[in-house]
Amino acid sequence: MPPRQATTRLFALPPRFLCPSLPVTQTRTIRSILKPIPKPSRFNASQSLPVLGSSHTAAFERKEHVMPLRTGALAIKKGMTAIFDPETAKRTPCTVLQLDRCQVVSHKRRDVHGYWAVQVGAGAKEARNVTRPERGHFAAQGVPLSRELAEFRVKNEAGLPPIGSKITADLFIPGQFIDARANRRGMGFEGGMKRHNFSGQPASHGNSLAHRLMGSSGGGQGSGSRVLPGKKMPGRMGGEQMTVANLKVMQVDKENGIVVVAGAVPGPKNCVVKLQDAIKKPWPDATWPPAIETVTEPLREATEKAPAAA
Amino acid sequence: MSLSSQSARPLACLKQALRQCRAERQQQQTRSYAAAAAEVQYPSLQTRYPLPAKSFRTSQATKQNRFETGMRKIPVAPQVPSTRKLCPDPVAAVTASQISALDATGARTRLFSQENPDRARVGDILLVRQKSGEPFSGVCINIRQGNSKIDSAILLRNNLTRVGVEMWYKIYSPNVEGIEVVQRKAKRARRARLYYMRQPRHDVGSVDNIVRQYLRQRAGGPMNNAKGRDARSNKKKNNKRGRN
Repeated sequence: MPPRQATTRLFALPPRFLCPSLPVTQTRTIRSILKPIPKPSRFNASQSLPVLGSSHTAAFERKEHVMPLRTGALAIKKGMTAIFDPETAKRTPCTVLQLDRCQVVSHKRRDVHGYWAVQVGAGAKEARNVTRPERGHFAAQGVPLSRELAEFRVKNEAGLPPIGSKITADLFIPGQFIDARANRRGMGFEGGMKRHNFSGQPASHGNSLAHRLMGSSGGGQGSGSRVLPGKKMPGRMGGEQMTVANLKVMQVDKENGIVVVAGAVPGPKNCVVKLQDAIKKPWPDATWPPAIETVTEPLREATEKAPAAA
Repeated sequence: MSLSSQSARPLACLKQALRQCRAERQQQQTRSYAAAAAEVQYPSLQTRYPLPAKSFRTSQATKQNRFETGMRKIPVAPQVPSTRKLCPDPVAAVTASQISALDATGARTRLFSQENPDRARVGDILLVRQKSGEPFSGVCINIRQGNSKIDSAILLRNNLTRVGVEMWYKIYSPNVEGIEVVQRKAKRARRARLYYMRQPRHDVGSVDNIVRQYLRQRAGGPMNNAKGRDARSNKKKNNKRGRN
């Protein structure tokens, strides 16, 4: 019984000793004042309900404003060189990247997969080295087999180029900034000084055989006598993906697929690098692609020819 | 098998003839098997299946997609032309385009090219004219030409106010207007890097006198070096002002 009704009727009722069978409401708490919170029904999944913070939808909405508007490109790191500015005579160390047969293989859609992304392929593989399921994926989209596949998240459907579009080096405009993602060089098992920039220990003052050690790994009895989870220690270093943000595009050569960016890019030579518009800079003023070239035309011709021949 | 029985049951002879035939056939078969066994010397080497075709490769057979009998054929789109084949060495291409832009005449490349017999070598006294600032001259004690041609550089050593000064100059830098050979070393240096010249007993000291003489000679020639003179005169004036 709601307690509020009982309190309002209190004086309308006879004294308690005359009717002991009535229920007693002794305490007035916040619960008795507040309106009762509606209990969510298991079947109450209406549109008006707020999105729960820990849901996929909320995560998508949180990230939406940093999602690039355009797709990225898969490139191969070719090496480093330098570029002189003819006016200021400033020398800029640069990384040379090459786009080889970069194409749009497939899309990831919000309604089907839960997010917007462009699946991009690069390079080439021989059909005999590719499994049937994988060949089927490419055949369904009507694009040639790619050696590498990667996804580039985009903000919305407008960022999805048609399947089979060629991604050329002129996707990037000289002067714009990009983020480069690649697997770092593997360093193997490394000590704390190299792996986590620890300071090491003194060279002298009685130090013996402990010059590059990490030192203490935590307190003793008062601190729990244990090593806290996540303690930085020696271990395997490198070989994992890292991002270098805000690299300036210096030169672009569409014909040879060359993109020259200022600064260093993670990974060894000939590694695959993912390039996309920098998320910490304003989006480039570009409406790409200016004229879509597709790779699907040759397949159409080939499939039309095949039944005629058979 | 008597004659009497034959006359009594006329079809019995047929049965007997068939039995005879069967026995003979069996005998023949066993005889042929025996003959075959005699021919095969190593039965374990006999092939149980037909031999593979001549073009058969084991490595190909292990690949899982080689034989897809009875399966639907999956079309494979033909590959588009590769930029990697078109431009196998993009770093060299970028560097070459840089060098052609910075050194349009090819004079700087030629001055330090290995193919050029009159190239500048270590030990020569070189003069570097700069876009901003005074020209610098000195003995070239190192020529750095690594894998990256665009970063080719020279190290010049001179004495200014009796203090040893060394300067690195990138030969393709737009800040370097020109590099001139003032004086060649009489004998070819037998080191690639003349770092021993930093030692007091090998130090040649200031080369300003040699450079001044060279400039004076050039001033009489067709290529009048008015700019260099002005620069020097300015310096003198400034010095005087400083002293006063």
